[in-house]
Amino acid sequence: MTGHLLSLVVAAPAVAAAVLLLVPRSARRTTRWVALAGAAVSLAGAVAAAASWDKQRGGFQLLEDLPLVPALGIHLKLAADGWSVPLLLLTGLIIVTGVLASWTVERRDREFFILLLVLVSGVFGVFVSQDLFVFFLFYEIAVLPMYLLIGIWGSSHEIPPAGPFGFAWRRFSVGSREYAAMKLTLMLLIGSAAILVAMLILWSRSGARTFDLQALERVRFSPATQNLVFPLVWLGFGTLAGVFPFHTWSPDGHASAPTAVSMLHAGVLMKLGAFGVMRVGMVLLPEAAATWAPLVGTVAVVNVLYGALCASAQTDLKYVIAYSSVSHMGVVMLGAATLNPIGWNGAVYQMFAHGIMTGLFFALVGLVYERAHTRTIARMGGFAHSMPAVAAFFTLASLSSLGLPGTAGFVGEFLVFLGAATGSVSWWTVPGVLGAFVTAVYVLRAAKAIFWGPAPVGEFAHLGDARRAEWGAPIVLGAALVLFGFWPRLLLDFIDVTSAGLLGRLPMLAEVLRP
Amino acid sequence: MSDWLSLLGLDLAVAGVAALVLLGDALVPGHGRFWGWLTAALLSLVLAASFLVDLRGATPHGAYVSDAFVLFLKRVFLAAGILSVLGAIDWLEEQAPRRQAEYHALLLFSLTGMMILPGVRDWALLVLSFELMSIPLYVLAAWAKTDGPEDRPKLAAEAGLKLFVTGASSSALTVFGLALIVGLTGTTHLQVAGAGPMPPLLAVGLLLVVAGFGFKVGAVPFHFWVPDTYQGAPTPFVAFLSVAPKAGGLAALVVVLLSGWGAQLAVWRPALVLLSVASMLVGNFFALGQSDVRRLLGFSGIAQIGYVLVALSAATQFGVAMALFFIATYVFTNLGAFLVVHAAAERSGGHDLPRLAGLSRRAPFLGAALLVFLLSLAGIPFVAGFWAKLFVFLAGYRAGLVAPVVLGVALAVVGLFYYLGVARSTFMHDGSSSAPVPAGFPLRLAIVACLLAVVGLGLWPGPLLDEANRAAQAFASGP
Repeated sequence: MTGHLLSLVVAAPAVAAAVLLLVPRSARRTTRWVALAGAAVSLAGAVAAAASWDKQRGGFQLLEDLPLVPALGIHLKLAADGWSVPLLLLTGLIIVTGVLASWTVERRDREFFILLLVLVSGVFGVFVSQDLFVFFLFYEIAVLPMYLLIGIWGSSHEIPPAGPFGFAWRRFSVGSREYAAMKLTLMLLIGSAAILVAMLILWSRSGARTFDLQALERVRFSPATQNLVFPLVWLGFGTLAGVFPFHTWSPDGHASAPTAVSMLHAGVLMKLGAFGVMRVGMVLLPEAAATWAPLVGTVAVVNVLYGALCASAQTDLKYVIAYSSVSHMGVVMLGAATLNPIGWNGAVYQMFAHGIMTGLFFALVGLVYERAHTRTIARMGGFAHSMPAVAAFFTLASLSSLGLPGTAGFVGEFLVFLGAATGSVSWWTVPGVLGAFVTAVYVLRAAKAIFWGPAPVGEFAHLGDARRAEWGAPIVLGAALVLFGFWPRLLLDFIDVTSAGLLGRLPMLAEVLRP
Repeated sequence: MSDWLSLLGLDLAVAGVAALVLLGDALVPGHGRFWGWLTAALLSLVLAASFLVDLRGATPHGAYVSDAFVLFLKRVFLAAGILSVLGAIDWLEEQAPRRQAEYHALLLFSLTGMMILPGVRDWALLVLSFELMSIPLYVLAAWAKTDGPEDRPKLAAEAGLKLFVTGASSSALTVFGLALIVGLTGTTHLQVAGAGPMPPLLAVGLLLVVAGFGFKVGAVPFHFWVPDTYQGAPTPFVAFLSVAPKAGGLAALVVVLLSGWGAQLAVWRPALVLLSVASMLVGNFFALGQSDVRRLLGFSGIAQIGYVLVALSAATQFGVAMALFFIATYVFTNLGAFLVVHAAAERSGGHDLPRLAGLSRRAPFLGAALLVFLLSLAGIPFVAGFWAKLFVFLAGYRAGLVAPVVLGVALAVVGLFYYLGVARSTFMHDGSSSAPVPAGFPLRLAIVACLLAVVGLGLWPGPLLDEANRAAQAFASGP
């Protein structure tokens, strides 16, 4: 049974999407249930994978191998390591709750669910593929449906043209969903072009003519090659991870996207980028990683602070959350740049925690938007009177966002800052913690402005709380935030054995890092 | 005699079908659609026969060979022929019910020339088959005569004339180059001519020949006819024109440069790289500003030729294999895209991008098919075009052509912008019309076949890749 567990996880959403093609357009309930079933099978598969993964043994488990293009050494090779397991769980949780949060999508709903499921198949694929090429294929599937998902089902927001570039804003209709969709797709694909070039260089210089990640790990690339490839990988995947200054697609994209897509994109897809930088860049190219780490970490610190400051300045609720993702992904990249086990553990844990948290945020923002039909914070106020549960969950997510102990966000951030403080560039901790402080300011201010205060009158008087399927995302994700906040070992056992393994199995990295 | 018969069996069969259709229509007039179906059916039989009968061999003096390489291309041409005949049936019935057989016969003659082309190893035969391929195309381009839009009723005639003038001048270039080559070397045999020393005048002759082929494939700077002809000529014919003759021109380039003149790499490689880079740049950047979807696809086709020329510039067996793979996938992709445009646009009153708005709602199948073809052209994974683009770049990279490859990868992103622009019109805008788009059965059949090929090859490129490798190996080892 465990023989094909990972292919089950990867294929289930795609199969559900294929089934949806056969479901008649008018069968709206069936459409939703099929989508939910596909997502649920994946989540169950991910849980089963976590349960059967041997934490003593570590390494790669649940291996599957199928030659795809033998002539070029391309294999469909799937396996899970201790980093993939939490990310699989995260993806499963987000897609199940994302489908529930999309229960109310009315317009062209069948196509919406098909694209959403195809996309999530790609995400699962990236986390488990052990062949660089297949990794890239899945990566592209995970990126492309986004164009249609945002362009068709997204929401536009009127941003008044101002400042020296006002004319350009008007010309390119900044703020519209089509602008956001095109910007996101093009920027991410420029990134993937860089990744493709990097892959071809690795393939040809390895001498092994293989894309197998484990085989490539054993190759010691020359320093010149490493220093050539690492920036390509860092910027290529980093674009998706929201690395400054290539993060600009993210606020526009996340703000314009429909709820489930924002959840998936901010919650899971940005992690693909960070995962790629660590898994491909740092593990395959350890010496270049050590050389470039000071820059990677410094840029990550810029991300943390700049993202947080931008978030403070936003007047649009979705942009606040979107910029907070840029800031939190900086924490992940900072953890990666420490190149020590604590920092790496923190980075992976933060990926998981931020995924859950931002998924919860976007689900709640979607709920609010659907009722109030506005995203402008200044127009809101006192919503807690009519939607107490939404307000409570929003506060919970805010607390996790600012890193309150007892929430998952705390564990990730704490580990990362600990790793940074004990690492080679300890001053990174200072702006990092400062970023967490600014986060506290803007999330609490947003929560206060939206939910607290006197009860609203007029159009916002009777908004109503979550109903039926809408409860899914807040309850599941909120519970996960608390559970993994109080019991981090549930995941850290997986992550730690792999971080230690990857750092320890690479003698050259140990050499470089020895003080 | 029997040698010729068996080696050219497929080509003769196609010519026979052409004669049958032409004569049949003259003797029993008035069976319009029937001839289209008959042509498609007989071509399918010929295609099936190519797999069943062993047709390999060479003529005694090596003027013509038939090997895995030649067969590969013949099959590609046959497939293109079948699909474009199917795609045209309904349109012909509507436009000119009495002239249908003529259309099919002309297309078949062109197809015959194309199929002979890859096997020739003799300059005289090469020119003959090349002209046999080209001349019917001029007539076909002007097929609709005066049925253009109201403001420009003679658009098709204009397109035909443009194609004719550029085609004729390209032939003149080729022939002039040949006069130099044959005059200097004293032989019409390709390989013998290419094996000797290389005086400057001979190099000029070779470059003139390359320029002549460059016209046919629509490489920059010989591309000016492409967008105009695509815009003016009837769309079902453009579907054929945009793939088959281009593949024919590429085959001619492969035969001349790699089989005959491989030793003179230093002379032609820079020229080919230059053509490739210029085509990628001009094709991609000019496509950005197009609002007519046929012109857009025309420029995108120029860019695609630039990509495949990267693989040819590699001048390796691997490069030939990858170019063959690219050609095969390009045939299905571009043909499919034009057929969808034909199905969707003619009924919406034009080919401007805004006319396609809402297509995905009015005709979900056509909209989805168009998206798949566009993604394949853009080189997105899990559709055939991704592998094609990857393989040609891989071939270029392995041959050390790093700069063109990097440029190509970067420009592929530019390409995505305008391909997605088309997708944006069809998916994100709700057009003024909400009427469903009717598409006849044969047209649907052709589109479905293209779709299956593009998606199938995207998921499982292995078999075609092996076949292309075998073909390239046969080509490299010679007769």
